[in-house]
Amino acid sequence: MDKGRISGTLKAFQALILFAALFVASASASAQDGEKLFKQNCASCHKVDDTKLVGPGLKGVFDRVPQPAEAWLLKWVKNSSAMIASGDAYAVKIFNENNKSQMTAFEYLSDDEIKAILSYVKAPPAPVAATPVEGTSVATGPNATDAMSDDTLLMVLGVIAILLLILVAVLGSVGGSLQALVNDKNGLPAPERYPFSLGRVMSKNKGLTAIAVLFLLLAGGKAGYDLLMGVGVYQGYRPEQPINFSHKIHAGQNGINCVYCHTAAEKGKNAGIPSLNVCMNCHTYVDQGPSGKGEIAKIYAALDFDPATKTYGTNTKPVKWVRIHNLPDLAYFNHSQHVVVGKIECQKCHGEVQDEAVLAQNAPLTMGWCINCHRETSVQTADNAYYDDFIKRHKGKLDGEAITVDKIGGLECAKCHH
Amino acid sequence: MSNNKKYWKGLDELHATPEFIERSQSEFLPEASTNDLIGQELGEGGTNRRDFLKYLGFTLGAATLAACETPVTRSIPYLNKPEDVFPGVPNWYASSYWDGVDFCNVLVKTREGRPIKVIGNRNSKVSMGGTNARVNSSVLSLYDSARAKGPMAGASDSDWVTIDSDVKNQLASASAAGKAIVVLSGTVNSPSMKRAVADFIASYPTAKHVVYDSLSASGVLLANERDFGTRVFPDYSFDKADVIVSFGADFLASWGNSIANAVQYGRVRDAKSGRLARHYQFETNLSLTGSNADVRLALKPSESGTALVALYNKLAAKSGAAKLSGGDTPYDAEVSKAAEDLWAAKGKSLVVSGSNSPADQTVTNAINTLLGNYGTTIDLTNGVNIRAGIDADMDALLADMNSGNVAALILVGVNPVYSYAAGTKFAEALSKVKLSISTADRADETAQKCTYLCPDSHYLESWMDAEPKTGHYALTQPTIRPLFNSRQAIESILTWAGKPMDAYSYIKQTWSTSMSATGGLFEDQFNTALYNGFVEPAAITVGAQPAFVGDVNAAAAALTGRADGSWELQLYVKAGMGDGSHANNPWLQELPDPISRVCWDNYVTMSPAEMKKMELSRLERGDFMADMVDVTVNGVTLRVPAFPQPGQKSGTIGLALGYGRTATGKCGNNVGVNAAAFITTVDGTSSLATAVSVSVVKANEKHEIAATQTHHTMMGRGSILKETTLSEYKSDPRSGNPPVLLATTNHGLQPPSKINLWDDHPIELGHRWGMSIDLSKCIGCGACVTSCISENNIPVVGKEEVRRGRDMHWLRIDRYYSSDMTEEKAHAEGVSAIDKFLAMEFAAEAPSVAFQPVMCQHCNHAPCETVCPVAATTHSNEGLNQMAYNRCIGTRYCANNCPYKVRRFNWFQYHGGFNEFGNNPAGDQLGRMVLNPDVVVRDRGVIEKCSFCVQGIQAAKLKAKKEGRKVKDEEVQSACAQVCPTNAIVFGDLNDTESRVAALRADERSYNLLEEVGVQPNVYYMTKVRNIESAQA
Repeated sequence: MDKGRISGTLKAFQALILFAALFVASASASAQDGEKLFKQNCASCHKVDDTKLVGPGLKGVFDRVPQPAEAWLLKWVKNSSAMIASGDAYAVKIFNENNKSQMTAFEYLSDDEIKAILSYVKAPPAPVAATPVEGTSVATGPNATDAMSDDTLLMVLGVIAILLLILVAVLGSVGGSLQALVNDKNGLPAPERYPFSLGRVMSKNKGLTAIAVLFLLLAGGKAGYDLLMGVGVYQGYRPEQPINFSHKIHAGQNGINCVYCHTAAEKGKNAGIPSLNVCMNCHTYVDQGPSGKGEIAKIYAALDFDPATKTYGTNTKPVKWVRIHNLPDLAYFNHSQHVVVGKIECQKCHGEVQDEAVLAQNAPLTMGWCINCHRETSVQTADNAYYDDFIKRHKGKLDGEAITVDKIGGLECAKCHH
Repeated sequence: MSNNKKYWKGLDELHATPEFIERSQSEFLPEASTNDLIGQELGEGGTNRRDFLKYLGFTLGAATLAACETPVTRSIPYLNKPEDVFPGVPNWYASSYWDGVDFCNVLVKTREGRPIKVIGNRNSKVSMGGTNARVNSSVLSLYDSARAKGPMAGASDSDWVTIDSDVKNQLASASAAGKAIVVLSGTVNSPSMKRAVADFIASYPTAKHVVYDSLSASGVLLANERDFGTRVFPDYSFDKADVIVSFGADFLASWGNSIANAVQYGRVRDAKSGRLARHYQFETNLSLTGSNADVRLALKPSESGTALVALYNKLAAKSGAAKLSGGDTPYDAEVSKAAEDLWAAKGKSLVVSGSNSPADQTVTNAINTLLGNYGTTIDLTNGVNIRAGIDADMDALLADMNSGNVAALILVGVNPVYSYAAGTKFAEALSKVKLSISTADRADETAQKCTYLCPDSHYLESWMDAEPKTGHYALTQPTIRPLFNSRQAIESILTWAGKPMDAYSYIKQTWSTSMSATGGLFEDQFNTALYNGFVEPAAITVGAQPAFVGDVNAAAAALTGRADGSWELQLYVKAGMGDGSHANNPWLQELPDPISRVCWDNYVTMSPAEMKKMELSRLERGDFMADMVDVTVNGVTLRVPAFPQPGQKSGTIGLALGYGRTATGKCGNNVGVNAAAFITTVDGTSSLATAVSVSVVKANEKHEIAATQTHHTMMGRGSILKETTLSEYKSDPRSGNPPVLLATTNHGLQPPSKINLWDDHPIELGHRWGMSIDLSKCIGCGACVTSCISENNIPVVGKEEVRRGRDMHWLRIDRYYSSDMTEEKAHAEGVSAIDKFLAMEFAAEAPSVAFQPVMCQHCNHAPCETVCPVAATTHSNEGLNQMAYNRCIGTRYCANNCPYKVRRFNWFQYHGGFNEFGNNPAGDQLGRMVLNPDVVVRDRGVIEKCSFCVQGIQAAKLKAKKEGRKVKDEEVQSACAQVCPTNAIVFGDLNDTESRVAALRADERSYNLLEEVGVQPNVYYMTKVRNIESAQA
């Protein structure tokens, strides 16, 4: 096949895939909305399988509840307490089964939204087979970093190599001295002391020497440059936290939406570390994690909360988390600009947080890294009237190029430095 | 003849001690052992060079290792987050400012629980969105480390329980013994405070309330009581007047409700709409108000009365009323002109007098009655409750204290030892009062002499209410918990009255009884009021005005019989410093006086001609070593530097109050002299003007003055400050602003904007931020400067640095005087070019004045950008000239290449030096809390300049993006535009065709500063239009 035909076939194939994707996307639109709504509103207490979180697992809920299931569930989600109060037998039963903990009334959700959630609960997407994540093992505790990292291994090997080289040199030297002694004793002339001295080798192979020196200089320069550029860059920084909080359990296994806890990410500059009252939304009832009760008890201790009586005391003390992502004061970064306006996924900068038991700094957070992303990322101009004038004025000036952030001044100093 | 006196260097030489003889033999003093010095430091002797190197190496190594370690930063979230607080997102609260001098409805910006900025509340009908320098700067006073940390008994710390029990005991026994208890306060306009004082008096029947204002308006109050039967400070409407005549009233800076006055004044300085009132000012010193007048006449204080009577007589002649006797004035021509204009604008005119004598005020009242201004520009039925003190009451209190009748004195928000004319006598009398309590926020001049100091909280920490104008209520709410162990004065008074209650509950109690009439739930009403910051009637109903029943003849007789003197003194209040209660605020100390451009000082203002006669330095050409003079008034002498002030009436001197504090804190102590002792009593009220027994003698001493402007005239240049007259403007809107020079190019004649040295920036695509400044409206008050300081973390540099020309203000207000020498005059009289320019350098004796705020002009073709070797200053596509501090290496090429001289260099780490640089707020742990976290604090060695408040632009854009809409016009406000009381500064998007700034830019009056340079600024100025006949120009 000639080149043209190949590309033609590829294009047709691409179109097909796109079409298929569109079809699938539109077909599952309601289910996807449902998923989003579920994560925002329900996931902190319910799971779609049969495991119990705060509330019961929702697998098979349509068969459990009184029929017609959808009507009953709509009523229940909107205001469960009213149903319990009205004496609905099944409602009272599950209320009692779940330690009499009340479910929030979701009166602000429309019927359609609840139906979308229900259709998601009915047919959740098949869970992706869990791939074991290297280096993080919940069983040995989230702080375990036993496995030797590649860097350390290299360093140890390097040290051993250097020691061996020194040993060879010393042995050679000792051997030479002994030979000289033997020769002296036998009246023979002393052997040439350094038959392969560096100076002699170098003077004999000038071309090679020049190349070697050049190589060493370049390697040294590169190493020095990297060293200096790395000053103040703490990529991979994984400090020990006062509470062994696992994003893997919360965001990964339980699928809680990031902004459920980091609410401020949509509001302003800081994403914010959630205040403890947010933790207590679930942990009023969930008092045990995979590692036992120890970690959750730290929240209770900070709030002076008695899990037995469910009462708060006054002897509170704040939790001093160690900040991982730290921009210098001279750089202004606003989360809401990126999350709300730019519609950037949290993972884009923070990495696959939902897979991390102990959180680390994923990105280098250097200016080059910021700039690079601003060059590559398109501005979300669709459905945002703010950009209307801008697009109008740019008509015919962009030659069909995507409007990336740098084209609207995203590389200008004062956007971040003021 | 030889002198055989013997001089010796020291006592040991005189006595020829053996040590001295030995030492005198050797050339050098024996070296002090470095080893000993270092050894002491390290705790061991005998450190040698190698040890030193070891220490050095270790330190270096340790530092390197430490640098590799990731610094641990703690991040501590709330345990239970308040619903509406998000870290990094500002919260705004409506509140009210009242310091006994100015009332202002304000909005307070807080970040992470710290108030960081105060601006005016534009919805208010009382302060009308205006602010002044003191209101803007008040947020820094909150973080003043000189504030009292808790209650004090004498000079030692105490606690509330001990003080309260002792105070209550003493008050009870004083009351039982029938001895007087006095609550001495400034004007109280808070309904709750009034109720608390009434409660206090109910508990102690011998108690009474005395009101004392540091800036008295007794004259107005007494005159209105006499003339109209109502003791009230009227509500003036400057915006309804077509002709304004002021006799010494500095109504834009210090007289009356000056914040609202300035807003209203701005409305009648609008050339475009034709609302351009004619303003006459008859005054002694060149005041802020006088500098804005269309016609200004300098006269001696003793001549003011006769001029006032003359004006009455001219108007009486027109109206047919009986003339008064006297009134022969040397200023007949000007008075006649004013009378004619006033008569033509009958009912739409306003005459005010700044005198505190009831006689002046009665004649003024009579004039306004003749003109029919009551009910139109003056309203007696809705009084302004900002001055209530009667001077005689205070004098009576002093006598009472001296006679031993006063057993207890509670001072609320006043500092009479400093501000009262008889301050020293008051201090002596205080010692005769058994129990004296001050509620000052610090151990000030008065509090130091009191038994107890019970510090009041700052208004940003307090609950308070106010009725600044009849029927208009306002609320003050705390924006931060009290920083120190202070207690609101109202709570102290209630505690001592035996009815302890917190201020919040007490105020709600007051309001629940006074406000429930309008129906609806009280709780809702109160919360709405709290949200708005005020409760105001929808429309102001002007009631029937009482008839004038005053005795104008008697008043006129008092005026015309005033003695004059060879020297006359007129005290005044600076637009920035006010009455001196904020003297420890470095922002205010460093704010240059709008007229003299001098900061960190007060001085005697004198006519330059007179200074020449007295051989005093006229501080010409950048010389700022002033000669001191000894000023004596009624036997009290002060040594003050003399400052040449064009426009000052010869034979008079001016001196500012509000300086010379001795117990306010490191920053304000001993700055200038306290002129309160020069306040005299005339006609039974205190007077800031004195005509008799004033002497001025040159002293053999020099004083360093710090001024931020060393040139004072335009020197014939036409492209900086443009002005025209109203009549010329009406016939040709471009008058005063002719098209700029055209230059010849190969495309023919072109305006400078078409001749480009650089490629254009694509500023037409997105936003293009720009500013328009109306020179007709700018009154030079300096509110914009302080607002800029607080928004942008601008350092204070102190007097010495200002003297070196290193003031850091991003925004300066240039003040220009007209000169007697003009191009035309030189041409007509054949004056040589050199003589012409030499003469042009000096201001006229009666100059016209113009103000011009200058900040970075954000040139589209900025000369600074091309010379920066490290690209630290660059241009944005939105028309901003950006400055990246971390790139700057401090070559200062940009500053050299800037035609507007708006770039500032950090010669030192100003924010690190608290003591060296005039108490820089950022150099103090507490003061640091005022910093705006969105703006970087600049380090030593970098250039900084106006950024057009880019942080605000970014925030507003983000808000619009999040809401999916366009940025609304005037949604983005630079700090200066935000607070300008007259709306002279307008900020916005020049590319938005519907924006106000775009319309103003298209106006015929609009021009760029130094347009011929061709740098294409984004700041536009508008020609100043003076409402004068062309012949007067």
